[in-house]
Amino acid sequence: MRSTFHGLETARRGMFTQQTALQTTGHNIANANTPGYSRQRVNFVQTEAYPAASMNRPQIPGQMGTGVAAGSVQRVREGFLDTQFRGENNKLGYWDARSEALEKMEDIMNEPSDNGLAKTLDRFWQSLQDLSVNPEDSGARSVVRQRGLAVAETFNYLSNSLTAIQGDLKSQANITTKEINALLDDIQSINKQISEVEPHGYLPNTLYDERDSLVDRLSTLLNVEVTTKPSGGKPDPLAAGLYDIKMKDKDGTEFTLVDSTNGTVNHLVINYNDGTGGNGLADSVVVGGGIPITISKFAGGKLQGLIESYGYNDNGSVKGIYPDMLTNLDQMAYQFATEFNKVHSAGWSLSEIEAGAPAGYNFFDLGGVSDPVNPKGAAKLLKLHDDMKELDNIAAATNQFAGDGSNALRLGDVKNAPLDFPGSKSSLQSFYEGAIGKMAVDAQQAVRLTNNSAVLTDSVQQRRLSVSGVSLDEEMTNMIQFQHAYNASARNITVIDEMLDKIINGLGVGGR
Amino acid sequence: MRVTQSMLSNNMLRHISNSYESMAKTQEQLTTGKKISRPSDDPVVAMKGMTYRTNLTEVEQYKRNLSEAYNWMDNSDAALDKATSVMQRIRELTVQASNGTYEESQKGMIGKEIEQLKEHLVSIANTQVAGKYIFNGNDTTKKPVDLSKTPSVSDNGNTVNLELSQGIEVAVNINPKNVFTHTAGSPESGLFGDINELKKALESTSGQDISGFLEKLDSHINNLVSERAELGARYNRVELIDARVGEQEVIANRILSDNEDADIERVITDLKMQESLHRAALGVGSRIMQPTLMDFLR
Repeated sequence: MRSTFHGLETARRGMFTQQTALQTTGHNIANANTPGYSRQRVNFVQTEAYPAASMNRPQIPGQMGTGVAAGSVQRVREGFLDTQFRGENNKLGYWDARSEALEKMEDIMNEPSDNGLAKTLDRFWQSLQDLSVNPEDSGARSVVRQRGLAVAETFNYLSNSLTAIQGDLKSQANITTKEINALLDDIQSINKQISEVEPHGYLPNTLYDERDSLVDRLSTLLNVEVTTKPSGGKPDPLAAGLYDIKMKDKDGTEFTLVDSTNGTVNHLVINYNDGTGGNGLADSVVVGGGIPITISKFAGGKLQGLIESYGYNDNGSVKGIYPDMLTNLDQMAYQFATEFNKVHSAGWSLSEIEAGAPAGYNFFDLGGVSDPVNPKGAAKLLKLHDDMKELDNIAAATNQFAGDGSNALRLGDVKNAPLDFPGSKSSLQSFYEGAIGKMAVDAQQAVRLTNNSAVLTDSVQQRRLSVSGVSLDEEMTNMIQFQHAYNASARNITVIDEMLDKIINGLGVGGR
Repeated sequence: MRVTQSMLSNNMLRHISNSYESMAKTQEQLTTGKKISRPSDDPVVAMKGMTYRTNLTEVEQYKRNLSEAYNWMDNSDAALDKATSVMQRIRELTVQASNGTYEESQKGMIGKEIEQLKEHLVSIANTQVAGKYIFNGNDTTKKPVDLSKTPSVSDNGNTVNLELSQGIEVAVNINPKNVFTHTAGSPESGLFGDINELKKALESTSGQDISGFLEKLDSHINNLVSERAELGARYNRVELIDARVGEQEVIANRILSDNEDADIERVITDLKMQESLHRAALGVGSRIMQPTLMDFLR
């Protein structure tokens, strides 16, 4: 026999559940603009029908519904899109870091312009031409000296500025490492909280959202792979479980960053070659004190972009965007100054003509750099030689006459003469153009791929929002729907109330 | 596909920001007048730009060298012209003096004038242009002629070469040995030697034959004239080089401009198009952002 108040209970459940749904709707609307929020849905379930199938069930026809309950509150989210998003975001992080580094380099090199190294060299060449025309003129000499000084200073400026940016890149890489480690710690601590909630059958949606946002941020910095693992106890079938986070190198070897089983986090450390005599560049990245990953094997993310820009050691050779350009500048400064000095010291200066004996004056001073294979620091240290304090020491002549400017012409030709650059014999001008060209192509590629990966990241993000984003119209519709159901449940109570009123107060009074 | 407010606003923001970016690019092109502002915009244009700029600088420099060459040659020519007139005057006087009717004292007077003309020739040979002696080969800081010294005339016949075009060097001075010479001895010879001998003959009382000097003077005048002719021929060559370098300058400028300069008409058209796109984007945005279901529910 069913209970007298059965109908009341059913309607009450209806009201309660619709209220829960309305509350969730309110939560959705409130979080419509919260980054990383996924909309939530109340999964309605019917409560167990009466009577339950059993031997001693009351003999009434059929089963009667007993109303509704909020089965669970679920995040609406597509895990596959997360994986896709993180993959694209990872590329975006890498190319973005690279293109930014290259853009800064472009700003410093400032080519083609009227202020770059090429123009300074052209002006120097011009002053030498002027000297060849007026070899006995001290005005022309002083211009040569000043323009020569400008060449040396431009080399110094470029080298110093590039080194300064390179230093910034290093600290950026270090900060990024710290950020990665902090994110890993955060993810693990959320894992821990989730592992405390889930076994009791709850769905900690807020924690899930937070954890997913952290992994999204991590994916910009590093290529990560997320695997889930159920937490113990009696979790809800919809529970997301715990996150194990791994990083893969180019060979596919996996390195565990967050291990939810042991609750451990492996921090990242960049190893620099900064012992005595070291070049200070990055050697490897170590995860949790394990086997070092060489930089050339390290794959993906902003961190890789930064390290590659800063420079790293790869099997004994130096690689990287900034070290490459600095090496090019050193080579140029060394080869140019050496050849220039060679031509200069073979000529006759006014003071040598006066003295009647060659003294072999030098024009440039390389600051002690003398290794033609690796003239490290040549661009930074290049300056005018002390011999040039005396203007009459500039050797414009090839023979002992003051009016001969042929050596000045030869000095001018040094700019276009083939010099011994490693691996190629080319003129200073074409070597420099090559270096700038390579930088330009690299920067163009980086910018293009940054844009491409940004478009892809955006489109995946759009699809994610399509699934998880809050639509106000939808929430409004739901709100009205739930409101109506709530009202109807309440009305139902009134009807039942009237019915009971009849039974209690209206029956047994017949004939009164 | 389910579309939500945040998607719409994200999209709109992205499109508007893209549109702004293109406008910024166009604006940059308009204000700088250049197609590219950094090498990565177009590596090929950037690299070519570097070469073309160098070419232009070179051509401009050669123009400068050319004007210096003209300076040398014009001055040399003028000096040789003066020297020729002086020589002709000397010849005239010599012709007069070789007339048997002149007395010794008159010849002596002529000798005095010739002495003065010789001094003038010395000063012509010592012509300085911008502090340089132009008739001493490449030893331009020393006087070529100082008759009080021995040897009194320098024998530097080296050329002064100026680079007037890539790899083309042209001598801009004349060879002074061909013109101003002096060989000491008895009798002296060369230009100044012969004039000295002539003067001595005029001042002496021995009644030496003067007409014999006419031949010598003629050969010196010939030397002057032929050196001028040779200078003139070279001057023509320099003019040809000048014309070519001038053309090269125009070409270099044009190539530089073709390579780097923005096509303003196109940029403005682009800007106009971009502007209307931007207006459309903003307009659409304002419409999309406005209404929600709430506006229709009461």
